[in-house]
Amino acid sequence: MITSSSIASWLRKAAAEVASHRDELTALDAAIGDADHGINLQRGFAAVLGRMEAGNPAEKTPAALSKEAGMVLVASVGGASGPLYGTFFLRFGGALGDQRELDAATLAAAFRAGLEGIRQRGKAELGEKTMIDAWQPAVEALESAVAAGKPLEVAMWAAAAAAQAGAEATTPMVARKGRASYMGERSRGHQDPGATSTALLVKAAAEAFSERE
Amino acid sequence: MPTELRLVVKSELGLHARPAAAFVQAAARFSARVEVHNLTTGKGPASARSLLALLSLGVRQGHEVRLVAEGEQESEAVLALAELLGGKDAELEKGLDQFQGAGA
Amino acid sequence: MVGIVIVSHSGKIAGGIKDLIEQLTQGRVRVEVAAGAVDGSLGTDATAITAAIQRADTGEGVAVLMDLGSAVLSAETALDLLPLEARKRALLCDAPLVEGAVAAGVEASLGSDLAAVRQAAEMSRSLTKLGG
Repeated sequence: MITSSSIASWLRKAAAEVASHRDELTALDAAIGDADHGINLQRGFAAVLGRMEAGNPAEKTPAALSKEAGMVLVASVGGASGPLYGTFFLRFGGALGDQRELDAATLAAAFRAGLEGIRQRGKAELGEKTMIDAWQPAVEALESAVAAGKPLEVAMWAAAAAAQAGAEATTPMVARKGRASYMGERSRGHQDPGATSTALLVKAAAEAFSERE
Repeated sequence: MPTELRLVVKSELGLHARPAAAFVQAAARFSARVEVHNLTTGKGPASARSLLALLSLGVRQGHEVRLVAEGEQESEAVLALAELLGGKDAELEKGLDQFQGAGA
Repeated sequence: MVGIVIVSHSGKIAGGIKDLIEQLTQGRVRVEVAAGAVDGSLGTDATAITAAIQRADTGEGVAVLMDLGSAVLSAETALDLLPLEARKRALLCDAPLVEGAVAAGVEASLGSDLAAVRQAAEMSRSLTKLGG
């Protein structure tokens, strides 16, 4: 069962991942964007942690922690991934109600709600070289594994692998949304930074949700 | 029966941003519908209540414009707007005489 | 009177546009600004936009003008964060920022309603600047 501590652990691991991959994300974004994705996410997740650790995460519900993270991200990231990741966490949290213990099916539904939030906000579809190209395969893998009765950790690692594969699959794509879309054909040959950071987030979730209490 | 007036624009800035905004606000005080034609450039008509439409007329000092007002207070509207475009000159005086007698 | 919110990645841009509108409307229109990321760098913050919309709303609604890209995403997110009543009175304008904001401001100063203010802003999409 996933609790607030697992969510808190996820957010801490996510912050660590974006910090340690900051330069890589920046380099990817320099190729096809504004070169600020790494810095923006690092700032955003640092702010998420700052807010979280200032309170008492164990006392909040998973929904409250997620929504708080979402609000901080929309406020602090600065670039497009703020509203996008922020909306993800707001919708994720919104799907959790007041529950303090989350089973696999609930989590899968929350990830789906988050994905749909990103889709609504960014108006992108699969194949347009955006973070959707990592989120959608991840959520679908998670849902399939859960429906097949797999344990949560297995399902989460399947999601993480799908997110990674999805991010890598963006390399030959031509961007059809966002800043990179202004580059047209020149966006080919570079992995999408948003999809890359998504793969990091999903991996962080898999690690956090596999931890034994 | 619409009230019309042709005049040569005397005000230094013509109908560029700031004077255009003042023009719009003045026109809004009257119920009449007012249109502006820039006879020098052939642009228009532009509604006197639309800032952007007026700006697209590109009215400068020295351009000849035609104001056309229809509805209540049409004469007052034309007079007020003509005054904003600056200067009393022969054309304007003649125009004023024309509707002094035309009734409100 | 309809209020105006200026959303930009840059505080300088937003502040300058606010100054322009105030000059053209003799300060009669409520103009609020939401610009820059939380640490002052270039960027946008949806929570700041939500707050600006609430400040600009004196009951007749708010027209929101944005610059590029993520400003639009942040503004859309900001609408989601508003209470329902306020949400119904906030409209994002699909218009270039400077010209749209100025047109919206002047229209608002005439006492026009929110739909007319948005329409005035969006007319700026077809504005040509350079004449014959």
